[in-house]
Amino acid sequence: MNSIENTYICLAAPLLLAIFCLRRNGRRMLIFLLAGMTACLLSAYISTFLAGAAAVDMATASHEIAPAVEEIMKLLPLLFYLLVFEPDKKSAMTGALLVAVGFATFENVCFLTAYGTSELPRLLLRGFGSGAMHVVCGMIVAVGMFFLWDQVWLRIVGTFALLCFVITFHAVFNLFVGQTGAVFWAGSSIPLAMVAVYLLFLHSRVDLS
Amino acid sequence: MLIEIIENSLQTAILLICAVISLIRAAADRSRAWTLTFFFYGSGALGDIYWLVCLLFFGVSPQITLVSDLSWAASYIFLYLLLRQTAAPEENGKLRLLPWIGPVFSAAAAVYFMQWGSVLSNLYPAVLMGLLSYSAIHRLMAGERFRKQRLLLVSILVLYLLEYALWISSCIWEYTPTSPYYWFDILLTVSFPIFIFGTKKAVAE
Repeated sequence: MNSIENTYICLAAPLLLAIFCLRRNGRRMLIFLLAGMTACLLSAYISTFLAGAAAVDMATASHEIAPAVEEIMKLLPLLFYLLVFEPDKKSAMTGALLVAVGFATFENVCFLTAYGTSELPRLLLRGFGSGAMHVVCGMIVAVGMFFLWDQVWLRIVGTFALLCFVITFHAVFNLFVGQTGAVFWAGSSIPLAMVAVYLLFLHSRVDLS
Repeated sequence: MLIEIIENSLQTAILLICAVISLIRAAADRSRAWTLTFFFYGSGALGDIYWLVCLLFFGVSPQITLVSDLSWAASYIFLYLLLRQTAAPEENGKLRLLPWIGPVFSAAAAVYFMQWGSVLSNLYPAVLMGLLSYSAIHRLMAGERFRKQRLLLVSILVLYLLEYALWISSCIWEYTPTSPYYWFDILLTVSFPIFIFGTKKAVAE
């Protein structure tokens, strides 16, 4: 067993216990977090398999295969929730956000265990940048899914298009953070800047609930 | 490769400027049409950025073109959704033959392009471009009902013609600085801002 499964068990076990102890909203929130982490673990397996099948190295796979796999995997728990429980918009938006947070948390922990903490500023920026990127991508898909279309078929087609949009955004982010120096700093800052722009200018105008 | 980088940079810059303008309008007007326009430009810009960054960092275009293909497909889908949003289809419309010229040409071109690419990578642009051209010609022929949307519809047809000119020229000529491929791509770049005016006119009260 390699470290990614160990990390998953360490993070998931307390969450799983808490899920059994909590009720209603608290339980639902933890389930979303756990679903996000599980999606991240499964994405790692699928990306590795596809990289092997396409005969590309892991660096290339990180920006050519992983973004598509990760964004699709991140959407699946939300789709399941929507189709099975038919929640209201507010619950679904919270769910999308928490799945993204769970995914980013697990990815950051894996990154930390793989590369260590020798450079704290880089780690900080990587952590915040990656977290912001996953949240931005998750929210773009969720916002599009609930607020842009009123007909079912338009929602399906539109959600697919938004998924393509965030896959490309994710791929560009991975390209930048795979580099060193100023390119890494610029790439990591883009999603943070997007979150900042949203909070400063759009938060008061757009009611996501 | 230098000409490709310059040309891609220019297109990316124009698409990004148009995306920012659309986003500002979308936030100011809380308009679904402007949001779709933003996503149309944004998808195109991201696809271009991805391609450009691969060229700059690795000196070659992407090994697997899945990401950029998806972004350009998304761009066409958003354009079609914009068309649906601003110009709802005519109910009980008469069956006309002329709008089918777009899908038929797209299908023929897809068969021709299959000499170079895979079936799927040629099929999805043909379906999307065929759908866009059919919808645009159909609405243009409907006359006064879509008068406000005329500029947007013409822009879509211009995009359709330039995209096919671009793709066909890439099959015929080599990628040299004097290749017509680059001239068509520059024309395409110049034509992108027209969609802003098209949307503005289409959503005007």
